[in-house]
Parts: sequence; C-alpha cells; structure tokens
Amino acid sequence: MICPRCGDEGAATVAVSPVPGVWEVVLCSICHYTWRTTEPPRQSVRESFPEEFRITPEDIRDAVELPPVPPLRDEPR
Amino acid sequence: MTAIEDLRGFLDALDREGQLVRVGEPVDCEPDLAAAANAAARLGDKAPALYFTLVNGFTNARIVLNAHGSWPNHAIAMGMDRDTPVREQIQEFTRRWDDHPVAPVHRGDPPFLENVQEGPDVDLFRVLPLFRVNEGDGGFFLDKASVISRDPDHWDDTGRQNVGIYRLQVKGPNKLGLQPGTIHDIAHHLRIGEERGEDVPVAIAVGNDPVVSIVASAPIAYDQSEYEMAGALRGSPVTLAKGPLTGLDVPWGTEVLLEGVIEGRVREFEGPFGEFTGHYSGGRAMAVIRIDRISYRDDPVFEHLHLGRAWTEIDYLMGPATCVPLYQQLKEDFPEVVAVNAMYTHGLVAIVSVRPRQGGFARAVGLRAMTSRHGLGYCKVVIVVDEDVDPFDLPQVMWALSTKVNPDEDMVHLSNMSILPLDPSSSPVGVSGKVVIDATAPVAPDVRGRHAHPVRDHPDTDRWLRWLRERTKER
Repeated sequence: MICPRCGDEGAATVAVSPVPGVWEVVLCSICHYTWRTTEPPRQSVRESFPEEFRITPEDIRDAVELPPVPPLRDEPR
Repeated sequence: MTAIEDLRGFLDALDREGQLVRVGEPVDCEPDLAAAANAAARLGDKAPALYFTLVNGFTNARIVLNAHGSWPNHAIAMGMDRDTPVREQIQEFTRRWDDHPVAPVHRGDPPFLENVQEGPDVDLFRVLPLFRVNEGDGGFFLDKASVISRDPDHWDDTGRQNVGIYRLQVKGPNKLGLQPGTIHDIAHHLRIGEERGEDVPVAIAVGNDPVVSIVASAPIAYDQSEYEMAGALRGSPVTLAKGPLTGLDVPWGTEVLLEGVIEGRVREFEGPFGEFTGHYSGGRAMAVIRIDRISYRDDPVFEHLHLGRAWTEIDYLMGPATCVPLYQQLKEDFPEVVAVNAMYTHGLVAIVSVRPRQGGFARAVGLRAMTSRHGLGYCKVVIVVDEDVDPFDLPQVMWALSTKVNPDEDMVHLSNMSILPLDPSSSPVGVSGKVVIDATAPVAPDVRGRHAHPVRDHPDTDRWLRWLRERTKER
C-alpha cells in the first residue's frame, strides 16, 4: 500500500479488526506512519494528505537525534 | 481518606460521584474517541470521564478518556470531596507532600498475570484498542502510561527508580518510539545505559491508580521515589508487584504491563504528535523500545488521554502536580513565598505570591523560580504578586498587573535561557528569553509609585459572604 505521508509503496497491514472486515491498520516501514483504513482521506489517502504533515526522505535523513547518542565510556572523548 | 487502589477503583469512584459517562452507543475509533474527549475538555472544568465499551471493529474494547480531566475528577482521584475548590485541592496536596516518604508495600500474584504474551507472540494491537488522538499525529500513541526505569549504575537504588509519563509511538506489534526529553530522568538512565553500551530495561504500566499517574507527571527530584511520594499523597502505601520480566517495581493493579528494553544507541524517526503545548512536535530521531512481554488483566481497560490546545485533561493531571514541587523548592529558600500557581502549560507561566521582605525581593524570588529544577525548562514568564493576591484567582492577578506594574522598571528580562524544546516559541529550539514581572507593591527601600493606600475589602465582607452563600443556596 502507498503511505499517505511519505508516498512509499511498501506499507503493510499490521493489524486487522477483531470483528472481521471492519478495518485494517497499516504501517509504513520508511516513515513509521500508521493509519486505519476507515480513517478520513486526510489521514489515509496520499492525494488528500495535508501538505504540512508530509514527510520526505530528506526529513528522515536529517532528523536530529533526541537525545544524542553519547560516546561509549571506554571510547576516547 | 480511603485511597483508590487501581484504575477500576477510580472508575467506580467517578461513577458514584456522577463523574463517569458511559458511552454505550457504537463509535468509530477515529474520529469519535478523540473528538469526544476533546469535547469533554470544552464542556468546562467539571467535565466527566468518558467510558467507551462499543467501538466499531473491536469485540471487547474498554476505553476511558478524561479520567483526570476536571477539578471534581482530580479531587476524587486524590480522595477529596468532589466539590473541593482548586486552591484548597492544592493546599491539601501540599500538606500531604510533606508526609513523603511513605514506603510502598509489595504483594504477590498481581492480576495482570491473568494473561501473557511473550517473545514472537507479543502484539500491542491485539491487547490495546489503539487509535489516533490528533489528525496530524504520526500514528497511534500511548500518552498516559507510567514508564518505569532504573539507573543502570545504581540498579538496586529504588530512590533512583523513575516513574514518568512520556509519549510512546506505536511503531509495530512489539515496537514503540520513546521521547526522552533531556531534562527527564529517563533520559539520564538512557544516557548511562548507552555509555555502557547496553540496552535499558523498561516497564510500561497502562491504566493505574490515579495518584500514580499524577505523581508520574510531577517534576520531583531525581533521587525521590515516585511511589514513596504517591504513598504520601494517597495517605497509604502504594501496592507494588515485580515486573515478571524486568524485576522493575510496577503498580500491583495495573491493567496492562509492557516490558522490554530501550534499545541502546538506536534512534529512529518519530512523530509528530500534538503535544501539551497545543502544538505538534516531531520530526526528530528518538529512542526505540522493544517489547518482549505483555501481561494484562482479563478485560483490560485502556486508559488514554486527549491533549491539545489548553485546557485539556493533561492540564488537570499536571497542573497541581507542577505547583506543589515548585512551591516546595521556593519555600526552602524563601519562607515568604505564600503560594504558587504554575498550572499553565506545565509551568511555562507561573504566578508566585510573596510577602516581600525588602525592595527587590519579589524579583529575586521570580529569578529563583527560573533556576529551580523545573524552572530550568519552564517558568518563561514568572509573575510575582503580593500575598493578598490569590495567584489562583486570575482576575486578582490581572488587577495586580494592571495597577502594580510599571513596565519601565518592573520587568526583569533575561536572554538565552534554557527552555524545553517543545516550546514552539523557543529559538533556537530549547533556548528562549524569560521575564519576571514584578507585580508587587514596592517596599522600602524601593519607594516607587503610590501604593500606600490600597482599598481593602470591608471588614464585614466575610460575614456577609457567608450569609449570601446560605441565602443563595436555598433557592
């Protein structure tokens, strides 16, 4: 499936409704966006996904670490 | 005072007091659940908790929202009369705080052992009825769970065991993203673990004794035990059990217990999430948790929280729990501090009432608030008022600002101060100006202004107030 947020085509189902056939939950392995198939198009369809919340590969690559990973104790500082 | 032992006891107490609305009609996960909680917050400061039992697609979902989300609910959580005024709730909270520490008791056979998932069978989606809170959220989050961790250098020191509420993004059946803010104790535990090149064991308790949630959101000292503080606030020891996988101390009556590790030296894209600041934050690479075991009670209740533009449930949950430690820290240095209202966005704005000792005293107290443990990342605006102004009565505070402040001289402005990174006005992120507004009347040797003759309430006002209250109650 296509991720509504980053556009990657490898999003996969991670959960199905306990009542069969009502909804699925889909997870994008690239940007980790998660959505339910019954959500409004703004949350579940690429074309309708708000520009302000879209994610690019550069956003993921350039994300600042919080908190930063510290040096190992036996590493020279 | 009879303390509430677990979430189910809290729901029963809310129900008895008419503060629990059961929603038996079928609702959609999105947008109904979060929209209903959003609406409860807009109902005013006496709103009930919401309990959903018929959620489309689920066969057995039980979801409670807004459990702490009003003053009556906060009072019930603390074992007080539901109609206790806000200021009295905080005064009582302060009084009980002084009873710290009350050591917890340990008990075997916790009810969360009724059901278990382990290893490859772990599946958060099968245990918790997860859903989106705000439309721009990057996924489904846990935002009201108590996260328990220990200092890896001092594993046996339970004083350094931390219980805190942090946002957790569900990123897979056994994977969570964790936001450890640099000022938070869990970030300190993570840093030590990562310096050692190790994973950090963690337990996540979902659905708890309401006082445990209040303390988990309070900025208490690093070496203070949240459980010992919760015992003081409850007036009786908290009952704990051992996490079967991690050995961490967890609330005995918790609904769902997740155990695993924060994976050392791993960061991954997280968020965004609509935060308590009323703004989204995200787009950073944050820590990752692997869940190796889920233990849960039969028919578990998912306790969750909607947050957004103030006020929402989180402001009631954190508000008093922010005022009291700040008050206690200021009082240690300045006994002249009368009261602290730091309920606005976890204390980004704080109002302090004092009995000024001498000219310049009020601004010194304001600056001290900014250098307190919590103030380091908050207290961006500190308003200092005289003792006859109730900091919880905003019209009185506005009167003090209106008449006591000369902006030429009564503002202490500081640049490049530390602030929590979630503050959307910080620039660069985590750095902000701060200001003390001295809204006290100058005292000698500060002789500015003409404040010597304020009009005071008539001496007989109290007698008439009681009479009027009685008379209007009869109608």
